[in-house]
Amino acid sequence: MNTTSARGLQISTPTDTTIVLTRTFNAPRRLVWEAMFTPDKMRRWMLPPPGWTVTTCECDARVGGKLSVEWKSDEANPVMTLRGEFTEVALHEHAVHTETMALGSGQTVGSLVEKHQFADQGAATAMRITQTYHSKEDRDGALASVMDQGMEACYQKLDALLGERS
Amino acid sequence: MVLDRSPRLDLVFHALAHPARRAIIRQLSGGERNLSELAAPLKMTFPAATKHVRVLEHAKLIRRRVEGRQHFCRLEAAPLKEATLWTESFRQHWETRFEALDSLLDEMKSEERARTRRT
Repeated sequence: MNTTSARGLQISTPTDTTIVLTRTFNAPRRLVWEAMFTPDKMRRWMLPPPGWTVTTCECDARVGGKLSVEWKSDEANPVMTLRGEFTEVALHEHAVHTETMALGSGQTVGSLVEKHQFADQGAATAMRITQTYHSKEDRDGALASVMDQGMEACYQKLDALLGERS
Repeated sequence: MVLDRSPRLDLVFHALAHPARRAIIRQLSGGERNLSELAAPLKMTFPAATKHVRVLEHAKLIRRRVEGRQHFCRLEAAPLKEATLWTESFRQHWETRFEALDSLLDEMKSEERARTRRT
């Protein structure tokens, strides 16, 4: 199975503690930046797992500005939060922010530093996200954390795709 | 390590794309088994079961050792552990987000064009 998507998302792990995502968007840098860091726009693409809803979304992409996202589950009442702060910002070029995910009980489930870089590619924009974790365990944990929600869908898709071949 | 276009990953996904083969993997996660033990719960003929074992062997997900007339299989966790599967679901998670971002950006561009026309 070719794991490169039509729009060319590339994922790599250049070091033990990093994940790098690169993807091109058919829009100028200014708009990609706005979509990435404006709360009402973020709500549109920060899709929660099935059964979860985004309840709070705040983002102030200036040095010292805060990032705050909260989700709640339809079942019982678990809450998940993401808190961070921007440490480096060059408007429409690059931004660095910290990020800490926690459960409602306050238990931290992971923290990282995320860097976004935007570069012109003709009329399009190449975006590069570098996630840096504290340790290899944290990095691997982050890769695995979406496994549960992604895996079954992934298998089903593969079954459908490869059905005739198996 | 760029994980795009890996022929070995293709083999791994092909191997995992069949429920019988996933069942074999699950069984082997409990330890080494011989072929008959693997075939028994699959509700298929012995040759059909061994065919699935061969596909898994080819993807290097399991290793076979022969002792007399007995064939023992065990799981080779390395290809699975190599973050390939993890990365695949991680990729899907981000791909879904980025597809939503594509539509959003299209909308934003149209809105901007409409605004420019009005002024």
